[in-house]
Amino acid sequence: MKLRSLLLVAGLSICFFLLLACGSARRGEPLTGRSSFSEEAGLGRIAFYAHCDQCHPGGEAGLGPALNNKPLPGFLIKMQIRHGLGAMPSFSNIRVPERDMDNIVNYLKELRR
Amino acid sequence: MKCMRQAVVWTVFASSLCAAATGLSGCYALRGSSGGGQTDFSAPREIKVADIALPEGYRIEPIATGLTFPTGVTFDEKGSVYVIESGYSYGEVWTVPRLLRIQPGSEPVPIASGGRNGPWTAVTYHQGAFYVAEGGVLEGGRILRITPEGKTSALVSGCPSWGDHHTNGVIAGPDGWLYFSQGTATNSGVVGEDNAKFGWLKRKPEFHDVPCRDIVLTGENFESANPIAEGSSEKVVTGGYVPLGTPTQNGQVIPGKVPCSGAVMRIKLAGGQPELVAWGFRNPFGLAFSPDGRLYATDNQYDVRGSRPVFGAGDLMWQINFGEWYGFPDFHGADPLYEGERYKPLRGDVPKRLFEIYPGRPPRPAAVLPVHSSSDGFDFSRNPDFGYMGQAFVAQLGDEAPDTGKTLAPVGFKVVRVDVGTGVAEDFAVNRGKTNGPASWLKTGGLERPLAARFNPEGTALYVVDFGVMMHHGEGVLPRTDTGVLWRIARTKEK
Repeated sequence: MKLRSLLLVAGLSICFFLLLACGSARRGEPLTGRSSFSEEAGLGRIAFYAHCDQCHPGGEAGLGPALNNKPLPGFLIKMQIRHGLGAMPSFSNIRVPERDMDNIVNYLKELRR
Repeated sequence: MKCMRQAVVWTVFASSLCAAATGLSGCYALRGSSGGGQTDFSAPREIKVADIALPEGYRIEPIATGLTFPTGVTFDEKGSVYVIESGYSYGEVWTVPRLLRIQPGSEPVPIASGGRNGPWTAVTYHQGAFYVAEGGVLEGGRILRITPEGKTSALVSGCPSWGDHHTNGVIAGPDGWLYFSQGTATNSGVVGEDNAKFGWLKRKPEFHDVPCRDIVLTGENFESANPIAEGSSEKVVTGGYVPLGTPTQNGQVIPGKVPCSGAVMRIKLAGGQPELVAWGFRNPFGLAFSPDGRLYATDNQYDVRGSRPVFGAGDLMWQINFGEWYGFPDFHGADPLYEGERYKPLRGDVPKRLFEIYPGRPPRPAAVLPVHSSSDGFDFSRNPDFGYMGQAFVAQLGDEAPDTGKTLAPVGFKVVRVDVGTGVAEDFAVNRGKTNGPASWLKTGGLERPLAARFNPEGTALYVVDFGVMMHHGEGVLPRTDTGVLWRIARTKEK
């Protein structure tokens, strides 16, 4: 595998995820109608509003960046919750237990649809 | 060899993924502020209801336009609608505070006017009289009683309202008392340069926060420039709950008194001494009783400014319990500001603890609302014909970035409905557009800065007071007169 191929893989990966992020982050009943969520996502919604919404209102940008138009896989979302990134603080297992974190990921995935 | 190549490919792929994730997350430190007030505006304000989105089955209409700094709405027993104009706006703009009767299709009728002691921040009509919270930036906060003929008297005076936040939120309780609130003088308990930018520190340099009960200080002090000594490079050292340039010591006691800063208080309709309901708030702007008789407050939280800046503290909605302390200046909700780095500004220290002994442990809030949203006046839905029974409809004035801290996008500028049981806050009335923001930012005819929301006595319509255009360009606040609107939201088919 040559260096050029490796760079190509890296570049295509970044472009792929950036392109996926071009959609609107706006959600909410007035704009997109009433949403229904699975039981896990419903619990995740409550946890999201307790911990995440203050910086990402409704998953849109606010103090922090938008989440609804970012196709991050679940493991990266969890990694960011646990370890923080940039200005985002980390959330310990005591503050956001594992089950809440799973539910938040489910909620974000259903919200992005 | 093949395995090794695959490992390299996967490593590069994972690294790219992480790089993409980081890029997509946005680097907060490198990006400029993009607050809703960071815009330009040319009068007149355009009004276009099609630019506002509501849930299916609801409609919105403007009831009054061209108001100057409107802040509250109320209704008399005949169902007539009244609005107050503040008479003062951040940016040190004074106009005349007024109580107006709104008449569809004609000019508002003045009922009473105030002096140079705004802002009038809230109004309620109860048992034949209007009660107004007078912010009192020059003479101190007051609760005014105004007869329908316009005769005005003060039930309470001398509230500590000369600072950043004012006397707010007057409502009548089911017990017959009048409940009102008082914001703090400062961002987080320490007087500093930021207070001079508000304008009040030069007028009243001896002013500071006043605790409701005796407090014991840690003796933490903060060095800052002296904004009162113009042209001087002099530094001053200031502690909590004392005037600018006054250091404090460990174990120092600051005596409490009522009326006080950051509190909810109440008074009998006949007047007399105000009584403390609860304290330890920062700026409890809105008050409302839920249908089951519990008292709730919205509480604007800390900013990234001054000698003790705090990062990332979302506005709170509280259920109020008598006698309880709600955490100011050392907590955000139930979380201490000084533990870990969660509230540390990017360029600054973790906020240092000010209280040596806590009056209690703050409870968990009913809801956490967006950072810098300025979640203000609100009311509960009581009528099934309107819908969302028992939910709180909260007006969000919107961010004041960059003066209160940076945001990556406009925050607030809408009405949300809050389920106080779960803490979930959904948009209810919000501007259409690619992103959220005030109408002046989106260049549309929608909502600008909703400041209060109240149902009519029947509970069939929600009236939203829209303060109008207020811009922030980092060098002070630029409010625009004659841009306020009173909106009415009801079901498409009213019963």
